Amino acid sequence: MDAATFADGLAAMRSAVGDEWVFDLPADLNTYRDFYSVLWGEPEEKVASAAVAPANVEEVQAVVRVANERRIPIYPISTGRNLGYGGSAPVLSGSVVVDLKRMNRVLEVNEDNCSALVEPGVSFFDMYRHLRESGSKLMMSVPDPGWGSLVGNALDSGGGYTVSGYRGHFEAVCGIEAVMADGELLRTGMGALPGSETWQQYRMGIGPCLDGMFRQSTLGVVTKMGFWMFPTPEAWLSGSVSVLRYEDLEELVRIANELEYGNLFNGMPGFGSPVLTRENPIAMTMIPEPEVMNAMVQESGVPAWSFSPNFYGPERVIREQWAYVKSRFEHIPGVQFAETGFVDLPLSPEDMERIHKPRFGIPSLEIFSVGSRGYGNFNPSDGHIWFSAVIPRSGQGIIDANRVMRSECERLGLDLFMFAPAVTCWTRSFVLFAAVPVYKDGRNAHLRDAVREIIRTCAEHGWGEYRCPPAFMDDVMDAYSFGDHKLRRVNEAIKDALDPNGIISAGRYGVWPERYRHMRRTGGEA
Amino acid sequence: MTTRREVLKWGAVLPALGTGWHGAFAAAPPNNALGLDAMLVDTRFPGALAVADAPVPVMQFAGDVTRVWFDELDARWRQPGFVLGGITGSDALFVLEVLAQHQGRKVISRVALDLPPVNGVQAVRWIIAPHHPSVTA
Repeated sequence: MDAATFADGLAAMRSAVGDEWVFDLPADLNTYRDFYSVLWGEPEEKVASAAVAPANVEEVQAVVRVANERRIPIYPISTGRNLGYGGSAPVLSGSVVVDLKRMNRVLEVNEDNCSALVEPGVSFFDMYRHLRESGSKLMMSVPDPGWGSLVGNALDSGGGYTVSGYRGHFEAVCGIEAVMADGELLRTGMGALPGSETWQQYRMGIGPCLDGMFRQSTLGVVTKMGFWMFPTPEAWLSGSVSVLRYEDLEELVRIANELEYGNLFNGMPGFGSPVLTRENPIAMTMIPEPEVMNAMVQESGVPAWSFSPNFYGPERVIREQWAYVKSRFEHIPGVQFAETGFVDLPLSPEDMERIHKPRFGIPSLEIFSVGSRGYGNFNPSDGHIWFSAVIPRSGQGIIDANRVMRSECERLGLDLFMFAPAVTCWTRSFVLFAAVPVYKDGRNAHLRDAVREIIRTCAEHGWGEYRCPPAFMDDVMDAYSFGDHKLRRVNEAIKDALDPNGIISAGRYGVWPERYRHMRRTGGEA
Repeated sequence: MTTRREVLKWGAVLPALGTGWHGAFAAAPPNNALGLDAMLVDTRFPGALAVADAPVPVMQFAGDVTRVWFDELDARWRQPGFVLGGITGSDALFVLEVLAQHQGRKVISRVALDLPPVNGVQAVRWIIAPHHPSVTA
């Protein structure tokens, strides 16, 4: 793009949003860098050319029209706080970041329908404050940390810790408004019907359901989003089911799945290995051969595996559910049960001090200080990225993913400071989560090569990432190669049809507009 | 509130925090006649408590900034003005800096302190001041 066109576009954006809400000085643009970038300080680091912060839908439309008329690439962010997955930096260097932080209104909370409609700049803390101050009976699901945007987190497929159907945040979305590349507004579902009172009640509307077009997307700037919310329950109970043999894992997971899919418990379950997390509770070690692991259990007295169901509801209901859950595991030799937590809601001040707040829809920043308490040598001012692969929800799935990941990381010299092979934000699969430290020096070149190799190795096992930092989006999308990459080809056909000038979020999750398709994998600057 | 001159005097009573204390707080915006409006102290670092009797409101926390930010800083940072000085861990400053940037503020001074680290976390003294026209007083 020539400088004159860019300057003219930026001037037009200033007219649209006000001079003080367009940022193009280096000091301002520094705040839109990805602080955890694996390309930090290198010529290939993905950086913005400017940022613009509209205050309302009309200003977003004006900015998009300016960009479309001049073919200026833009990159919308809600709050840009998904550190470890790219932050607020664009995928295509030279893009203008459209920062939606000023669009921070909670438009509606419907207590009877248990739903909300919000703008993209509404953070989980904003929403929590709104619910608290309005005396709401509703509970939201929050990620950890909770400083990001409800909209942005859902669009990026973030997850929380609460109730199934809500804690996979995109699963709780009902109704989207988006500014398309031509500047027009689209509302999905019942929002397309003027006068409808059911935008946040029925997701599909008529015809193909388009909500998914905006997940991890390059197709629009989302300006409103509806969410289903959970009525705050009367109580919460957490239990643990521990088994003593390597061989018990398959049965443990099989029964737990059946119970969750049958709605016998509704909270996010945990799966882990107490004996393999004795040294570091947030990083499971390599799963050894059966006889070795069983000997470890014998010597230490620490169980081999644990399953931790969580229950939200009236106390007498969830105690009965817990009793039933226990009964389903009683046939496993040596099985141990424990009630590990119970609280009445609303939480007392004393309970607030001892519980994991996100389990109760309470946003927190506590995770940033866990390193100083001895967990994982973690300091947020050091960088990290997340490796997040979807793996089968089975005992064998845990074992295989653990061994492959651990052995590959060891072979490639890749450090992990957090490793959990069976996270359950999404009810029908496990996600293997690993936090990989990144650096601000030359070590990142090796890190990038190693992560790419692990992406390929996982793909060979049928495991694909559901989310990743920008530097690896092309690699991850490459792995979804069925039908000669038909998924990517369809996505790019849709992209070219709806955004022929390729202005919105070029390259995001490996979907490149025709204009920039030559930059796939190699990167470049608009 | 205190005057900038008074803030500069603090250096004389804070030897535990090492040299450079004057310089750090002298970085308060020269157009802000009031100097610092408040201090934030991370009690994980016992040495930082030397400022607990400073002549401005002193807020305390222990590593996790959630409560002090949610209950105090978020509202103040939405309004014009408010220069905040702090002695905290580098981890807490990282979080505060991101939150401050969102409200048009930035760190205008940061100096690592010669206090014993806590599990590898370094103590830092800093000033966060309004930067964007929407919050400059």
